[in-house]
Amino acid sequence: MIIIYDGLIYASVLAVLCVGLTLTYKITRVPNFAHTSFAILGMYMALIMSSVWNLSIYAALPMAFAASGALALFLYYAVIRILQKKKSSILSMIIATLAFDIFMIGVLNIIADGLRNSYQILSRDFTLRSLDIVLADGIPMVFVASILVLAGLVLGLYYLLYRTNYGMRMRASIENETLAQTLGINTRLIFCMSWFLSGGLAGIAGVLMTMWFQGDPSLAAIMLPSIFAGSIVGGFTSIYGAILGGLLVGLSEIIGTTVLADIFGYWIVQYRPIIPFVAMIVTLLVLPGGLAQLVTKQWSRRKNAKQ
Amino acid sequence: MLSNEIIFLADLIAIFSIYLIINLSLNLEFGFAGVPNFGKVLSVAAGAFVMGIVPFALYGMIMDYGGLEPVDDNIMLIGQINDHIAAHPETAIGVFAVTMIVAVVVGGMLGMASAYPAIRLRGDYLAITLLGFGEVIRIIGMNHTPLVGGTLGVSVPDMLSFVPNEYRFVIASVVLLAFAAAAYFVVSRFTNSPVGRLLRSTRDDELALRTLGRNPVKIKFKVLMLAGALGAVGGLLYASYVEGVVAFGYNRLNWTFLPFVMLIVGGMANNKGVLAGTFLFIISRKLVIYYNDALDGLLPFDIIWLDYLALGGVMILVLIFRPHGIIPERPQKTKSLEKS
Repeated sequence: MIIIYDGLIYASVLAVLCVGLTLTYKITRVPNFAHTSFAILGMYMALIMSSVWNLSIYAALPMAFAASGALALFLYYAVIRILQKKKSSILSMIIATLAFDIFMIGVLNIIADGLRNSYQILSRDFTLRSLDIVLADGIPMVFVASILVLAGLVLGLYYLLYRTNYGMRMRASIENETLAQTLGINTRLIFCMSWFLSGGLAGIAGVLMTMWFQGDPSLAAIMLPSIFAGSIVGGFTSIYGAILGGLLVGLSEIIGTTVLADIFGYWIVQYRPIIPFVAMIVTLLVLPGGLAQLVTKQWSRRKNAKQ
Repeated sequence: MLSNEIIFLADLIAIFSIYLIINLSLNLEFGFAGVPNFGKVLSVAAGAFVMGIVPFALYGMIMDYGGLEPVDDNIMLIGQINDHIAAHPETAIGVFAVTMIVAVVVGGMLGMASAYPAIRLRGDYLAITLLGFGEVIRIIGMNHTPLVGGTLGVSVPDMLSFVPNEYRFVIASVVLLAFAAAAYFVVSRFTNSPVGRLLRSTRDDELALRTLGRNPVKIKFKVLMLAGALGAVGGLLYASYVEGVVAFGYNRLNWTFLPFVMLIVGGMANNKGVLAGTFLFIISRKLVIYYNDALDGLLPFDIIWLDYLALGGVMILVLIFRPHGIIPERPQKTKSLEKS
């Protein structure tokens, strides 16, 4: 049973992170190497809310959403927009996100040290699993919560993107920024909102992560390849591809490691980070457009058949 | 005994030389050819790992280990090998040369192999793939103990054991500086030749290059191979300078991010810029490390994290305010340009 919890919670967390990464990539064409640091900030928001302020851990979800969203907005406004205005190349923007990640490693570790010194709480490799509510039949609440978050994300994004006026403007801005601007759409506001959403989702993912697994600043570097792998498996252009890719990579990471450990022995567990890497390489070699490519291929085939 | 100042200076020169070699290789692929190698650590670690494996294998052929294993009985074996080096300097130089050839080959092949999955795709995909490769080599190095001792690492033979102890430190710096100077000379000749212009055109306009009958993918492969080989030399020299390989140390910050910072601070596609950036950066960093004891205890957190803040912050500021570095790239002077 534990492997199902492990696998599904981790996969949902990864899927939520992949959605945010893909969203910002679609908008700014910059693969954001600082994306995991938003999630780590969410983890520390959860720790502060629950251990310092003694609030329910679920109260941390909106707080983490706001804090990490604000951080993402800061990255967008203070770094990426300025570089865009200066007509910097995409590569220097990528390096800037890498630099922001290094900067955030410093900030998050200072937060961790500060929490330990001021409140004498365990602030590294901490887990908030014991604070979680256990439902009937011993099902942990976080399991239900992460499934709900993921389902909410799927439905919510569908509603937002395809059923609201705002979503239409958002899609238009992503599709063709200049054309959208000529139609009077405030693309800057839309991009800001998208970055906020991306960061906020990462914050929620971070909270969910600490409620079952561990939280630590070093996770930023550890999880980054998995998130990129999930996004690339999904195609890096489609939101739903990102969800599928994240789920696939997350599940194969947990279940694959367990299965392989049963066959080859426990030592293989240490090589777990190689699984998403292999998934990414195979995707790039076999299907560079990711899962999204499969869908669009079928679409175009159907269209051609009709004609 | 050497005075503190000389030790400080010698260490400065050594670290400067090692980073200069690595930064030159990064400049070759990123500055000139525009290949975003966010996995520079891959070739550096590969070179270091070669240094942790090959000398033991070679000395195993020359002398009798008496059943000692390179990783398990590392400390005992190192003593024996160092005694052998002290007695026979000529074999030590031979072993070092062979090790370097192996490192060059391994680094070049890894440079090519790591780019293979994504070299035909857009630059950002290549960046992500290369970053992934850089992580993977560290994970393998940390967990596969027979390779370089896993988390504990291995000591490597001191190839300068034949030098009297009091001069060893200074001689090592001189040797490293000589290597760096040679690398600088070769890379400068290379980038000032027509090949340098070919690399720049790969970076600037692939389409134009294709119309001239060149294949950008092939050029990228070649430059990655070359830069990988040079990066591996840097890693090998670092491992032999510190006389050890610990896989844990080959992380993204030290061997990918720092070279990028130095390269961009100095100025890309410009070997003088690399020289300036590396020099400035290594000196300021050494001084910070030298004086940061003064701040210890005043702060409610570990001082090392300020380092991260400063590095990330400086990088972002340079990218925003001085994206072309201290010495910006200039149009290359060719004979036909001078005539006109």
